[in-house]
Amino acid sequence: MKHAPSADPPPILLTASKITKTFDKTRALAGADFELREGEIHGLLGANGAGKSTLSKVISGHYSADSGSIRYRGRDIQLRNTRDALRVGIAIVMQETSLVPDLSVLENIFLPELGRPGRLDYRALKERGRAILDSLGQGDSLPFDWEVRRLSSAQKQLVEIAKALGVDAKLIIFDEPTASLSPGEVDRLFDVMARLRETGHGLVFVSHRLEEVFSITDRVTVMREGRTVMNAHPTADLTQAELIRAMVGAELGAIYTEPHTPGEGEGGPVMLEVRHLVTEPVVKDVSFSVRAGEILGLGGLVGAGRSETVEAIFGLRPRSGGEVRLGGKPLKGDDPQGAIRAGLGFVAEDRRTQNIVPDLSVKENLLLAHLGAHRGFFCGYQARERKVKELLQRLGLPEDRLMDASMLNFSGGMQQKIIMARWLLLEPKVLILDEPTKGVDIGTRASIYAMLRDIVAAGVAVVVVSSDFEELLGISDRIVVMSDGRSIADLPSAMLDEEKLTLLAAPRTSMARNTALLNQLAHEHGGAGFWALIEKDNLICLNTVVTDAALDPGFKAGEARGLADTLIPRALSQREPAFVPEADKSRTTLLVPMHSPRGHDLGWVGLCLSPDTALPSPEAIKARIDTMAAAL
Amino acid sequence: MASITVSTPARGSRFKMLAQRLEVRMLALALIIGLCLSLLSPYFLTQSNIFNMLDQSVVIGIVAVGMTFVILTGGIDLSVGSVAGLTGIILGLSLQQMPIVPAIAVAVLAGGGIGLVSGLLINVFGLAAFVVTLGMMAIGRSLAYILSGQTAISNIPDAMQNIVYTNILGIPSNVLFLIVLYIVAWAYLTYTKGGRTIYAVGSNKEAARAAGLNTLFYSVLPYVLSGALSAVAVTFSISQLLSADPLMGNSMELDAIAAVVIGGASLYGGRGSMIGTLIGVFIMVMIRNGLNLMGVSPFWQGSAIGTIIIVALLVERLVSSRASR
Repeated sequence: MKHAPSADPPPILLTASKITKTFDKTRALAGADFELREGEIHGLLGANGAGKSTLSKVISGHYSADSGSIRYRGRDIQLRNTRDALRVGIAIVMQETSLVPDLSVLENIFLPELGRPGRLDYRALKERGRAILDSLGQGDSLPFDWEVRRLSSAQKQLVEIAKALGVDAKLIIFDEPTASLSPGEVDRLFDVMARLRETGHGLVFVSHRLEEVFSITDRVTVMREGRTVMNAHPTADLTQAELIRAMVGAELGAIYTEPHTPGEGEGGPVMLEVRHLVTEPVVKDVSFSVRAGEILGLGGLVGAGRSETVEAIFGLRPRSGGEVRLGGKPLKGDDPQGAIRAGLGFVAEDRRTQNIVPDLSVKENLLLAHLGAHRGFFCGYQARERKVKELLQRLGLPEDRLMDASMLNFSGGMQQKIIMARWLLLEPKVLILDEPTKGVDIGTRASIYAMLRDIVAAGVAVVVVSSDFEELLGISDRIVVMSDGRSIADLPSAMLDEEKLTLLAAPRTSMARNTALLNQLAHEHGGAGFWALIEKDNLICLNTVVTDAALDPGFKAGEARGLADTLIPRALSQREPAFVPEADKSRTTLLVPMHSPRGHDLGWVGLCLSPDTALPSPEAIKARIDTMAAAL
Repeated sequence: MASITVSTPARGSRFKMLAQRLEVRMLALALIIGLCLSLLSPYFLTQSNIFNMLDQSVVIGIVAVGMTFVILTGGIDLSVGSVAGLTGIILGLSLQQMPIVPAIAVAVLAGGGIGLVSGLLINVFGLAAFVVTLGMMAIGRSLAYILSGQTAISNIPDAMQNIVYTNILGIPSNVLFLIVLYIVAWAYLTYTKGGRTIYAVGSNKEAARAAGLNTLFYSVLPYVLSGALSAVAVTFSISQLLSADPLMGNSMELDAIAAVVIGGASLYGGRGSMIGTLIGVFIMVMIRNGLNLMGVSPFWQGSAIGTIIIVALLVERLVSSRASR
């Protein structure tokens, strides 16, 4: 789907040069350059905290730059706010959408018009809205009179895009637009983006998913630590390795310390066990367990309910069902103090709002969890004196900075390390970290990973929540995948890669379509249907529907198996476009590869039947699966 | 790997370090005001006027302690004046029925009980502190009138005067009480788990909760203290006047809040200290006393005090923003 390079490059839409931006004392941008042409999709890449979101927000008028210039359509522009940006035709589609949930879809699309004096002509607006959606090839996918709160995240995103087109935006920035989409929804988004490119729009695609960058962008710009390190390079000339090197810097190949030795944690006792945890309204059914000396990754898309799950375990959120056991004893879910005294530590996701107490000194911030766990009238700080010194050395923080009046004078990375130390001080049995490297520079990330390894080596059980699949795969021994508030898979990370995680984490809406089809197939023919990923000798099952227990393929949803360990080894290894009977004649199985409309591998759909029945035509079943895949 | 990106703060001269503390700057302000007033009125710095001012500091000073606790958690208590009025009447009525000590206990418990109700409404039901204590303010004053039958209770036993007019080590007992109260409150806020929790709650309640601190208890406690201390304050007033008037403590909340804020506390919580509040109390009392000495009409005093407070805070804001740069 790459854009054919034409002899005459299209005109430049926007040039940003030497942009700097400082927040408090953190340098977010230190001389960033960016160039965008008309009719291109331009990838803006970088690790967490590289400055790509800040740069997008400078271009879209959310922030004003400290220095540097922006040239747009041949003129220097000064954007004071987003309204200025919208007026000249620059719009941004953000992760947290800027929609008004209680207004209708139509009102949201034309929100800028609501501010104008005079009466609104709803009929005219409806026609314009219809025309915009048609131009995106999404004619009927948005019910105009629904309230926006009822929409899925993909639909909300479409509203945002339509809103940008409603003000005739020429330049649209997509800030991590795929973070909460299923693979099928991603494909649809990419179609929309491709159409916008055809009509001469300039699109900025902010992402850290390389695979998506390669499949949709024409050129890429890579940022690192607030600077542009690769400026407007044609995507086609790049390899994945080159991009990664640009993103993380040459010497940081080994950011995830030594690869975990499989089976390392298996000997340890189970420290934390969660069974059928429910927390209204987001968490519906989550179960997992962690052993001492093991890092468990909790993965999933934004909105899957991971933060809510760990907050409920720790007692920050009321539970409505299920059971949590810590070190074999039940843990009540009503109060963090009880959890801390029982040996649980929790580094919450948002540093600024959930962790840092800005008016207390660094020392007291470090000792805050101690204070929470401490019994007694006084503070009992002196009892921890020695441990504090020891931790400071490990963090590389000079002791005289302990009395600093404010944590906010430190870099995000150092703040995070101090917060982690807050919990290490208590020597917890289980430590839960929610997005521990969010907004942390890459150097500190490496040292945070090293700290995690140290903690685990000391026999602590660690749970890490992360949206960054690469990080999750890099540090965890095992990964539990959550989707729509349910834990749906529990697999060793050695068996997974980013692509598989993305598929596993897909929202249940796409899974529901798949289940419906498997149901139909299994019921019509009286057997078992399944959806699985197959790589080499291993299989990861995404979904199963069994109507006849005798025809069960030998694995369940969320499980991983060696092909030989299933009940249908022959079919799985041959993968022929026809029913393959097993050696023991108990089952005969048809396996159909499933692809997204953009040619993405979505794994295999299988149908196990009894060899004694009349077998349906493989072509007919394949056609139905293709139809389903197109809608996934 | 540069782990610390910020230069170490300037800690050059001792003077600069001192100047960075708000209390020090406010102490300087208090001294300047004192100096000006002593130039304007020769009587200002006499021993008897100084004792007079210390005496005047007691009631407002006691109420300001409770107010500091409340403001440190990010709350506000507008009801202190009315609670003082109501508990004063309760004390006056109790003194008709029982000896002095139990009567004072009844009044203090009543004040604490009112604070408990406010604290629970604010922290359990999530109502705004401003609104809840505003309501309590109206209720308290109204009950004070009803219980007293709209007149002052004047048959207070003379023995009540011992509370104020006993000298211990040459210091009047009410001033001594104030000094001890401030030392205890300062030590509590600085050295105990509860005190540090109060700061943490005001600075970032969510983080405090996530660290296992008992945020509910220490959010409610300041309101209880504030109510109880209002009753203590009014006890000193009554023992001086030997009369309990339903109008007592009228607009006292404004003086208390002003003293705490002048003392450097942030109305958003988490910042402030007992030393600062004490200086704030002295500044308020000095200004009022000085204006009286100069014969400024009471109708103009409000304008003068209001202006001085606002200008002082404005100057402080300008100075501190320059100091932190």
